[in-house]
Amino acid sequence: MSSSPSDSSSDATVKPPLPDGIVAFVKRDCPTCELVAPVLASLAKDAPLTVYTQDDPAFPDGVARVDDTDLAVSWHHEIEAVPTILRVEGGQEVERALGWHRGEWEALARVPDLGPGLPELRPGCGSLSVDPSRAPELAIRFSGSTLKARRVEIAELEDEQEAFFDRGWTDGLPIVPPTEARVLRMLEGTTRAPDEVVATVPPDLAPCTVEKVAINAVMAGCKPEYLPVVIAAVEAACTDVFNIHGLLATTMSAGPVLVVNGPIRNAIGMNAGKNVFGQGNRANSTIGRALQLVIRNVGGGRPGEVDRATLGNPGKVGFCFPEDEEGSPFEPLNTMFGFEAGTNTVTLFPGEGPRTIVDQIARDPESLCHVFADALRHMLTPKMVLAFDVILVVSPEHSRIFREAGWTREDLLKRLHELTLLDGDDLVRGANGIAEGLPDSVRGNQVPKFRPDGIRLVHAGGGAGLFSAIIPGWANGEMGSAPVCKAITS
Amino acid sequence: MHDTVDLEDRGVPSVFVSTVEFVDGADAQAKALGTLPSAVYVEHPIQDRTDDEMRVIADKAVDEVISRIVGA
Amino acid sequence: MTTVLLDPSSETVPAERVRADRLEALTGKTIGLLDIRKARGDVFLDQLEERLTERGASVLRYAKPTFTKPAPIDLRHEIATQCDAVVEALAD
Repeated sequence: MSSSPSDSSSDATVKPPLPDGIVAFVKRDCPTCELVAPVLASLAKDAPLTVYTQDDPAFPDGVARVDDTDLAVSWHHEIEAVPTILRVEGGQEVERALGWHRGEWEALARVPDLGPGLPELRPGCGSLSVDPSRAPELAIRFSGSTLKARRVEIAELEDEQEAFFDRGWTDGLPIVPPTEARVLRMLEGTTRAPDEVVATVPPDLAPCTVEKVAINAVMAGCKPEYLPVVIAAVEAACTDVFNIHGLLATTMSAGPVLVVNGPIRNAIGMNAGKNVFGQGNRANSTIGRALQLVIRNVGGGRPGEVDRATLGNPGKVGFCFPEDEEGSPFEPLNTMFGFEAGTNTVTLFPGEGPRTIVDQIARDPESLCHVFADALRHMLTPKMVLAFDVILVVSPEHSRIFREAGWTREDLLKRLHELTLLDGDDLVRGANGIAEGLPDSVRGNQVPKFRPDGIRLVHAGGGAGLFSAIIPGWANGEMGSAPVCKAITS
Repeated sequence: MHDTVDLEDRGVPSVFVSTVEFVDGADAQAKALGTLPSAVYVEHPIQDRTDDEMRVIADKAVDEVISRIVGA
Repeated sequence: MTTVLLDPSSETVPAERVRADRLEALTGKTIGLLDIRKARGDVFLDQLEERLTERGASVLRYAKPTFTKPAPIDLRHEIATQCDAVVEALAD
C-alpha cells in the first residue's frame, strides 16, 4: 500500500503535484498523528484519501500511503505542522486544516461525526520539513542554490581541514568547513542580499560580497547573529581612512582591533567583563578572526607576502571586544565618532597587543592620571611623538575612582594630554643615552605625545583588579591609518 | 603518490613512475587526494625482466620523466 | 563520498591544489631519485641516474623503508631541502 519516494533523478526543485481528494501529512513520531490515525482510516472508506508520511512509510495503517521521508512533497507544499489535511480539487489546494480540530476536519472532508471519542481539539507537531536542523539542507535541495561562490570538491581521501590549509585559506588554525548549508544559515543573520558587494578588499582590491563575508564568518566559527558585526567591520576596514592595506604592509606589529558598542554586544553574548581581551567567549574570539580571514582570503593579504610585520602580535588572529557601557562612568567610545550612545557600532583601531597598567594604591583621579600618563609617555619609545594614537582601556575598579570624583571623559582626556606633554630636551637625539630622537629644533619646547584626538577611551574588564591597559596604535595621518567607527545594520 | 603530492606541496616538482598495471589505481588515488597525477607509466610486468630489459624500459621512459619536471 | 565546500577566496586563482613550478632546465639541477623498494626498481633507477647525469643533472639517491607507507617525514624534508626535483619509482 506504500509507494516509493519520488524518483531521485527527477528535478527536486519542481513542485510535485498532489492527487485530488483529501491529502494528509503525518509522522509517526507525533502523538496527534497517532491519535487521528483511526480517523484517517475511516475517511479512506468514504473519500479518495492520500496520506504522505514523513518518518515511517508504514504509518498509518489502512490508508493509501506515500513515502515522503525525503520531505519533497511536504517542503514544496509548505507543510508546517502534522497532521495537516488538504482538500485538493483539479490539482489545486482549496482548503487546509492544521492539527486535529473535529469541526474543521468534518467541514473539510464533508463527513460528519469524525473521531467519536476523541477530544474536540489537539494541536499538531512541527512538520519535519520545517525542522530547523534540516531546513537549510532542504532549502538547497528543493529550491536550488542561490549562492554564487565556486564549489570546491573535497575528495574522498582528502581531509577538509588539510584541503583548506593546503590552499592557503586558513590563518593556521582549523576552520569550520563552509558547507552550503552552514553558509545559508549564516546568511540568515543579515537582511542583506548575498550578492551585495560590501567592500573592495585590499591588497588585491577584490570585491567582497555578503556571501563571501558569510563564508569566512562560518570558517572563523561565527554564529549567524554575529554576521552584521563582521560585515560592518569589513566595511570599516576597507575605507581609505582605515587603510587596511597600509596596516597589513607595515613592518610594525599592529593589526585591526575591533571595539563593539551598542545593545548588540549583549544580544550576541559578547564579554566586556573578566578576561575581556582573552579567550573563552565565542563572539569575542570569532568576529575579529572573520575579518582577518576576509582580508586574507578575499583581499589576498597574507603574512610573508603583503603582510610584512617584523613581529606581529597574537591579536592578529583576531582581536575584538565590546565596551562595558553599563558599568562605565564615561560616554561610550562611539560617541567620540559622532554616534548617539546606544547605537550599534564597531570601531576599528589599528592597534597591537594590550599592555597592563598597575596601580593598586591610588584613591584620587590625579594620582591615577599620573600613572596612566607614565605608561602613555613610554608607548613604543618615549621619543616617538604625535605619530601614534592609543586606546586607553579603563577597568571598573579604576573607573570607580573617576566616578566618585565626578570626572567626565573630557576631564580625564584633558588631564592626560597635559601630563603627556613632553619636554623637548628629553626627546632630542642622544638625550637620556638614547640615539633615537627628534632634531635639535625641539629643544626648549614642549611637544605633545598625542594629537588632540589621539587618545580614545574604552571601559572594559572584570570587576576585581586595580588594572587598566593601553592598546598602542600604528602610524596615524595621511600615510597611516585612523580609527573608523561604523554603524552595524541588520 | 602521497610522497609526490607532499613534495609538490613543499615546492619540489615531482613525478611518480609506475607500470601500466597501476594506471587505474594511481588515477583513483590522485583523484582521491584532490590532485592531478604527475605520473609516467612503463610497461608491465617488470618483476621477471633481465637487467638489460630494465635498462631499455628506463631509456624509453627518460624523456617523459624529464618532461614532467622540466618545462611549463 | 566527496564533500562540497564554498570557496572563501576572490576566486582569482584555481581552486585545485597548486603544483610546484617546473624547472627551466635540467642542467646544473639536483634530481632526487626515490626508490620505493619494489623489486627491479633499483636497476631502473640506476639507468635513469646515468641518463640524467649525461644531460647535466646531479643525482641524489634515496630509498623508502617500505613501499607500503608514505616516506617518513624526515626523509621527505631531506629530499625537499636537497633536491630541485624528484622522481619516485617504480610501482607495479
